[in-house]
Amino acid sequence: MTKSEFDPQVKQLLDGELTLADLPAELRQEGEEALRLLAAVDREPLSLPAVTWRVMATLERRRQRRLTWLLAPALAAAAALVLWFGRPANPPAAASSAMVTVRFVLVAPGAHQVSVAGTFNRWDPSATPLVRSGSADVWVATLSLPPGQHQYAFVVDGVRWVPDPTAPAIDDGFGRRNSVLTL
Amino acid sequence: MSVLTLFTGGKRLHAETGDPRRGAPSDGEVVRAVLAGDRERYAVLVERYRDRYARYAARMLGSSDAAEDAVQDAFVRAYDQLAQCQDPNKFVGWFFLILRNRCFAEQRKSRSHVSLEAASSVPTGDRSDAGTETAERRRALQEALMGLTAEQREVFVLKHVEGLSYIQIAERLNTSVPSLKMRMHRAYDKLREQLRDHA
Amino acid sequence: MRRLGLLVLGLVAGATTALAAQQSIAARLSGRASPEIVTLVQDLGSSAASRGLPVDPLIQKAIEGNAKGVPSERVATAVRLVYAQLDTAAAALRSAGLNSPPDTVQVAAGGFAITAGLGGRDIAELARTGRPAAAVTVGLRVAGTLAALGVPPTEAVTLVSASLRAGQAPGDLLALPGRVQSEMARGATPAQAAAGLARAAAAQARHGPPPHPGPPPHPPAPPHP
Repeated sequence: MTKSEFDPQVKQLLDGELTLADLPAELRQEGEEALRLLAAVDREPLSLPAVTWRVMATLERRRQRRLTWLLAPALAAAAALVLWFGRPANPPAAASSAMVTVRFVLVAPGAHQVSVAGTFNRWDPSATPLVRSGSADVWVATLSLPPGQHQYAFVVDGVRWVPDPTAPAIDDGFGRRNSVLTL
Repeated sequence: MSVLTLFTGGKRLHAETGDPRRGAPSDGEVVRAVLAGDRERYAVLVERYRDRYARYAARMLGSSDAAEDAVQDAFVRAYDQLAQCQDPNKFVGWFFLILRNRCFAEQRKSRSHVSLEAASSVPTGDRSDAGTETAERRRALQEALMGLTAEQREVFVLKHVEGLSYIQIAERLNTSVPSLKMRMHRAYDKLREQLRDHA
Repeated sequence: MRRLGLLVLGLVAGATTALAAQQSIAARLSGRASPEIVTLVQDLGSSAASRGLPVDPLIQKAIEGNAKGVPSERVATAVRLVYAQLDTAAAALRSAGLNSPPDTVQVAAGGFAITAGLGGRDIAELARTGRPAAAVTVGLRVAGTLAALGVPPTEAVTLVSASLRAGQAPGDLLALPGRVQSEMARGATPAQAAAGLARAAAAQARHGPPPHPGPPPHPPAPPHP
């Protein structure tokens, strides 16, 4: 019968305090078995990208339960911050009353005027102006939109149509891109 | 109700809000800002540390899904108890202990439910590269690890997965090196026994 | 004689409805499109309504073209393209053998997905997941959004189908583009990001969702290191 305990010297080998060569000859085989065990250790890193939004969603949900309405300031690196109000278990048509508050943010150095136009405001560049935020180059606007699919673009100085820099985008059929918001 | 944040936006915003690689605010600064009411800044800490201990949680709990839940819960609990974090500059060590408590609680709760399936669901890198044999050895070891006590498994994971020394582990867990070694040596014997059975 | 009366009544009612629809289109486009575009949208709108296609995307495209200062002929081409995409989406949804014909909301979602790069087969595949119509509609929108992020259509459909089959709630589906974006920010290609999430969703479909036992007991205050 083979004993199940490693020799104390083999344990030192596993601890990194001895090398295989330090072991007496009669322990070499046991030492190799021990090293095979360590060789099977999986050190691959694990990434959990969803945790950030899951945590922040949990915190926001609890806060929303306490406050009727609260618009969160822009999170780090957000160009559009979307707050879900009473997300229905069964969207879209069934819950047309559940509006979603969306915060649009654009960094536009040197701009004098910025607005957002899209399917939600009949593509009217004058309907939804953005206002300067703390930083001179940062423009923001907050809208309540129904759940569903929305397309939009920013309009800089009334003439330049600019898609949201890193939001999903599709061809607009006119040689430009429209940003996409799926709520 | 939930929050969806579309992490889009230009580089200038990234620079303004701080990138850990470019002179970002320290943990202490972020913790103090959150306690002062800037709740959304907490996302900085989550983003910064969520992956650092993901592997620890996955090896402790036997599945990446369980790890995701545990890490999420730990961050929510840490937020709730943030005022108790006596030294905000040591947030990460304090957070680790909350996650550890969570993993141990989960272990107590589900000890009898640890299954081979859960053990095999731990991601082990690119299996096609690793090869079937290596993948099989990894799976067998993870399964054997799940047969250890949580204390034994933890010291094994911290030393052989996370690569910490006995001294570092002792500092982190506020214990002594001899007691850690005793735990680890028992773990070695138990693993040997289980892997032999497996073979 | 009575049947003839009903037929006449039906024709009159149909004509009245069509006229109302035309007037509605004209009203919505008033001041927002050239006369020839208004006429085109009215024609296409009548056809769309009779074929169960949504009219709103046609009106939106006409308004958008006008707002962007696009020449009329180019707007006309874009509106016709939208019509064709809606038609393709509706045909794909019907080909999936659904119990009930697709509603206009679902067809609009399918039309968007096609604009974003999906094909008719992709639409049909999503519809065949056997989930409720509302979930398929959200799935189509999400698949289109994923394609708009650069995820190849096959991977986008695989991810959304796997998530639908895993019984994920619409809220979870809507979070998929954000999750893909997070992975992309970490260096993954859109295809890799979607494939990784699809594997996780498929595993969830096989083994059931991870346990969510509710809020765990409060931990003791941890000692400070």
